[in-house]
Amino acid sequence: MLNTTIMLLIAAPILFSLLFVALPKSLYKILAWAFFIVGTVLSIMLVLDGTGKVEVAGSSFATFESIVLILEALIILYVLYVSAKHKNWPTLGLIVISAALAAYTFTSVPKVESASFNIDQLSQVMILIVNIIGTAIILFATGYMNHYEEHRHLNRQKTFYFTMSFFLAAMNGLVMVDTLGWLFLFWEITTLCSFVLISYNQDEEGINNGFRALALNLVGGITFAGAIILLGTKFDIVTLSGIGTSATAAAVALPVVLLCIAGFAKSAQMPFQSWLLGAMVAPTPVSALLHSSTMVNAGVFLIVKLVPAFAGTSLGTAIAIYGSFTFVMCSALALSQRNAKRVLAYSTIANLGLIIASAGIGTPLAVAAAIMLILFHAISKALLFLCIGEIEHTIGSRDIEDMSGLIKKAPLLTVLTSLGMISMLLPPFGVLLTKWVSMEVASSNPIVSVFLILGSALTTVYYVKWLGTILSSSMDKNAVLHPKLETYFPLSFLGACIVVTSILVFTIYDYFIKPQVAILLNIAPTVTGQGGQFTSEIGAFAYALIFIVLALAILIYLATKNMFTPRPAGYYMCGENNLEKDKLMFRNGLCSYDKSSVSNIYLQNTFGENKLTTLGYVISLLLIVIAFAAGGGVL
Amino acid sequence: MNSLDIVKIVLVLIGAPILGCLIAGIDRKLTSRLQGRVGPPLLQPYYDVMKLFQKDNMIVNPSQNFYVVLYVVFVILSLLMLVFKMDILMIIFVYTISSVALIVGGMSTGSPYARIGSSREIMAILSYEPILILYALAIYLLTGTFNLSALDNASSPLLFYTPLIFISMLFVMNIKFKKSPFDYSTSHHAHQELVKGMLTEYSGPGLAGIEIGHFFEYVFLLALMFLFWNVNIVMGLLLAVIAFLFVIIMDNITARIYWQWMLKVSWTILLVISVVNILFLYVTQVKIV
Repeated sequence: MLNTTIMLLIAAPILFSLLFVALPKSLYKILAWAFFIVGTVLSIMLVLDGTGKVEVAGSSFATFESIVLILEALIILYVLYVSAKHKNWPTLGLIVISAALAAYTFTSVPKVESASFNIDQLSQVMILIVNIIGTAIILFATGYMNHYEEHRHLNRQKTFYFTMSFFLAAMNGLVMVDTLGWLFLFWEITTLCSFVLISYNQDEEGINNGFRALALNLVGGITFAGAIILLGTKFDIVTLSGIGTSATAAAVALPVVLLCIAGFAKSAQMPFQSWLLGAMVAPTPVSALLHSSTMVNAGVFLIVKLVPAFAGTSLGTAIAIYGSFTFVMCSALALSQRNAKRVLAYSTIANLGLIIASAGIGTPLAVAAAIMLILFHAISKALLFLCIGEIEHTIGSRDIEDMSGLIKKAPLLTVLTSLGMISMLLPPFGVLLTKWVSMEVASSNPIVSVFLILGSALTTVYYVKWLGTILSSSMDKNAVLHPKLETYFPLSFLGACIVVTSILVFTIYDYFIKPQVAILLNIAPTVTGQGGQFTSEIGAFAYALIFIVLALAILIYLATKNMFTPRPAGYYMCGENNLEKDKLMFRNGLCSYDKSSVSNIYLQNTFGENKLTTLGYVISLLLIVIAFAAGGGVL
Repeated sequence: MNSLDIVKIVLVLIGAPILGCLIAGIDRKLTSRLQGRVGPPLLQPYYDVMKLFQKDNMIVNPSQNFYVVLYVVFVILSLLMLVFKMDILMIIFVYTISSVALIVGGMSTGSPYARIGSSREIMAILSYEPILILYALAIYLLTGTFNLSALDNASSPLLFYTPLIFISMLFVMNIKFKKSPFDYSTSHHAHQELVKGMLTEYSGPGLAGIEIGHFFEYVFLLALMFLFWNVNIVMGLLLAVIAFLFVIIMDNITARIYWQWMLKVSWTILLVISVVNILFLYVTQVKIV
């Protein structure tokens, strides 16, 4: 039963990607709905099938293995071709190195006799994220792409849907497979899909940013390949789970560091963050799918899987410090940004840093926090990115300052966006619960603690000013609403997911997270969930209480609303707003009229990109070197 | 939940606003004496609230009073959680909900004064929130848990090991009471260049709600200072009174400069001495339970 579901999870998205190519544009909406339903059903089936390992051996293994080799060769050839065509020498150099490593692996590393899929609770969570959120995003795209292409005079939707669906297949493979060689193939496919989609617009900016993503991810790919060679030749380890259960965990520290670097690159951690920021030129569904809720999760997925190899060692501490540093640095950078997509991009990098920091701390509770944050962050970030896409269509801008008064222009959209933001920074929602857990577990390490505390304050600041801006009322109404089912259904669905997962947080913890931590570390965190409280040995998060009080607040408001009859009035402008047509007009010193305009504080002189990026590069590179040293020190 | 808990809840719901109202009254009385005025009666804040409730409900945005309800309800919740000695980090997060509600409420009106005031209040969050969380971390390091109930069994007061954090917290009080030199977002006195800043568009019942929320907030903030000497009620109250007097005296002897200065003071001096205090706790591994 399990092996059928696994095969279906990889085959179904490939089938859909071919259908998108074969069928005309008019059928895309139906296809996307079907894909959403199939993806949801399949991922739930996988969860119901339970956990376990599936071996692929014998003749079917030989067939699959040759397919893998052919695909790997094709990827290398394709990248060689495009980088030569666009004369992108760094990428060309990196792919030549990759090709050399692949050839070396093929000739010198001992061959495996079989491959295996390993379904544990983390894979289940990832499959749910990829197949439910991912297909919801594709559904959103069907309501989005026509308008997008119309503006830019493009007609590449076949490529778009093919790559998006194919990416889901690769991602499904990536989170289920245990054999490192196959994992590497899926890893490289996601890199390639990302390149194709970032350069979607086919303009200079798109292609340059695409190549940057490709090059930086190839660096990660090279360290990944190096780790496979080291593990295969020196330690005779060919599976991901083999690294964790290896009796000599200390001995494999060097390949583990290499794999972690691959994870850092994929998760766009500093100093690799520039590719994710550049990726924001792609259409919004791409940003939502690849660069916030799924592909970047592959990096942290790998690192969480490696937890047994570094939990409690100095390498783990180095990783925790590195992750928390990225968290605070990118939160500060997000504060200085006006472009909503860049704010979200930095916020994504920061949250992935937090996941890595939690994984690095390596106590059972910390690892639980890391896995929960992967889930909650994916839902909230997908919602936020899609909302930005829809806001851009509505007001024609992605500048935060232009979003003031959105509540009057597009109320439902604003409420959903607000829900996404609030879920990122306030209790009782899941992301904050995990942030709370990480802060409590980080208290064992002063540096990580201080970084998390500062980063958390910065996070509050950049979301609150944005939240206030979209909820503020303003008098101008230049908005074109596109209330389509394909766009608003995924948004509302993701919004509902945030609320439901936050209410069911303990059920999710009990079903998925606790057994997974037990697999990784052989002990489960001592957490109880009675009375709507998430209680650990050092504290308690009363999420049910807050939900109840929130409901109470809404009831009180509704009850008292009509006790005092509201009397609408204009702004108070010190008596200077005596122009009838615009209530925000001021009379200035020259007795003519100026419109008052107010913008948020961005502190660009302190936290601007030109101030912090170099510092971030230096310190993050230093921390990676320290991680290497820590890995070597264990040797 | 037993009957004692219900009595406690009722006591907080009734007692805290009365106490907060008296604190506000004493504040106004002391301030006026320091300025050589007679000042209003002690119960003036109460009269103000009663008067505001009788005024018209003037609004510029239909939803602006919703944020007031959120503010008041979550301030009350954070005070209740403190009284029931729950997780201090959680209490700080709940308290953040109320601060955010007030900021968003100010911005939601769309008035330029309110928006500038709210922006500055966001910067105030950046200034004080790290210190509040470091305070929670100090409690964890000294007791081994974030649950405040552990402080009941403490062998010695928190203050003995956290003097630097105590100093930082005094300034946090100053910021949170919105007193000079940190009253950038909105002010209690008539010397605010932004009219009433963040609260410009609030009047009548909405403003009355905010005032009541302030009463609860004063009690909550001073209770945080009380915790520094939780083992002895008299000493705890004394610390709260000292903090309160510090805030009032600072208010009267300093002038507002500019909000960037608040960030600088907080992130250079206050944050650094708090971190030094935390490092001291890490190094010595001292425990008070």
